[in-house]
Amino acid sequence: MNVVITGAAGGLGRAFAVECAKRGYNLILTDIFEDGLKILKEGLIRRYDINVIYYACDITDEQQIEKLKEYISIRNIYIDMLFNVAGIDHEGAFTQRSFAQINDIVKVNIEATLRITYMMLNFKRTDEPFRIINVSSLASQFPMPLKAVYAASKRFILDFSYALNEELNEKSVYVLSLCPGGLATTKSAIEGMAVQGFFGNATSNRLEVVARRTIDKSLRKRRVYIPGTLNRIFSVAGRFLPVTMVTRVIYMRWKRALSLRCSM
Amino acid sequence: MKNVVITGATSGIGLAVCESLLLSGHRVIGIGRSAESSEKALSYLISKTNDADITFFNADLMQMEEVRIVSAKIMEYIDTNWDGKLDVLINNAGCVRSRYCTTKEGYEQQFALNHLAAFLMTYSLINPLIKSKGRVIITSSESHKGMKIRWDDLMFTRFYRPLMAYKQSKLANMLFSFGLNDRYSVYGIRAYCIDPGLVNTEIGLKQTFGIVSLAWSLRRKKGVQPDVPAKTYLYLVESDKHPVGLYIHKNKPKEYSSYVNRENADRLWKISEKLCSIEFGRFQ
Repeated sequence: MNVVITGAAGGLGRAFAVECAKRGYNLILTDIFEDGLKILKEGLIRRYDINVIYYACDITDEQQIEKLKEYISIRNIYIDMLFNVAGIDHEGAFTQRSFAQINDIVKVNIEATLRITYMMLNFKRTDEPFRIINVSSLASQFPMPLKAVYAASKRFILDFSYALNEELNEKSVYVLSLCPGGLATTKSAIEGMAVQGFFGNATSNRLEVVARRTIDKSLRKRRVYIPGTLNRIFSVAGRFLPVTMVTRVIYMRWKRALSLRCSM
Repeated sequence: MKNVVITGATSGIGLAVCESLLLSGHRVIGIGRSAESSEKALSYLISKTNDADITFFNADLMQMEEVRIVSAKIMEYIDTNWDGKLDVLINNAGCVRSRYCTTKEGYEQQFALNHLAAFLMTYSLINPLIKSKGRVIITSSESHKGMKIRWDDLMFTRFYRPLMAYKQSKLANMLFSFGLNDRYSVYGIRAYCIDPGLVNTEIGLKQTFGIVSLAWSLRRKKGVQPDVPAKTYLYLVESDKHPVGLYIHKNKPKEYSSYVNRENADRLWKISEKLCSIEFGRFQ
């Protein structure tokens, strides 16, 4: 099994890489940070008997994606699984962010994901399944003031994945969207969960469990995975409550968390 | 006067040990995670002691790469300023996590910092230690007891349990010192693990949340101040002859887990060598 992971040098990407390596899958890693990829590769081959190659590139850049394509095709590699992990967020009110930052969210979370998916489907083995795991977010389940663009971009990924799955199912392409809550991947992510108090903790997910179960579910051809019982309850409840009300409640919560965080 | 390198020197036990070492006139290199915390510790130590001989280096020791870089810098410092001799290395840096977090290598953070960093740091500084027949001190804990190494899933990649991961990393410290004595006592080196007891530090509050930080914020109140265990470190640094024992609590050897034996120590040693991609203490 050959696996491509974008955003592999970050917390979730790294956890997927370790989990895949544990299962004996071969890895093709990409990220914008070459240094992180190099170190991760070393760490993985010390622990597991697998092949790892990496290619650092900016996936929002069309030319660099072309080079990545070349890098894979000259090595005659077929791909069985693709993890679209790369994603960014610039938290804060819409008008308080520069337009460049807002545009970046759209470029990385949406455009780059589409481009990578489109390109990687060329490397599908005929008559073998091709699995795509798109990392959406719990934020995709509701409109989110103060994370408006991010949540909407993740909603795009969710809807796109459902549709693509249906469209390509008969060609045995299976698409799963992962909608996790908070993950303790970086220092600032941990601080972000700490200021949210009880709900920050309760909606957070275990990185190692998410990584393991996501792959299990993808192998079972599931279409969406919302880890955590409370998160699933929230997501279902959100469908029955008026969207204006849900949005207002979320706005209150984020405003409080954000002000707590700024005062830290 | 002894030459001492200590990791995790900017807060908690490490800072208290630095203070007592400097007050007794030893020369110290401290390692801190960030320049900011090092500066804070430095100004505190200078205010407490007159003409203290202390230098700080910064490194995030859970990243193996940074251990390599900082140990090369320390080697250079030891060669130029300390005549190539290091009397004591104190592997004190440690952390607690609430959730599964990985280093750049994809290693679990508690295992990487609490055990692997100590392993690699000792490897990197072994020559100046041999030169002065020095000592290696590791901050272990009573929590290593009643624990086994999970050989099939060392880094808790299936289901993370914070306290178990911590206990295992402290058991790994014991196994490492046992293995180090096996391989290097012929060169005159001696390794110790210290049980500091329950100490009121911030270890369980840094980068943690939820139950772990809550539990520790209650538990730490019962702990002693860091200057209490610092006396044990000072005793191990200053004794003329190597004191007996492997596991030391309040200047006295203490019983340790029967899991700490040659078989397990060798097994962990081999894995650690592989994870750091080094060869440490093989037959020449």
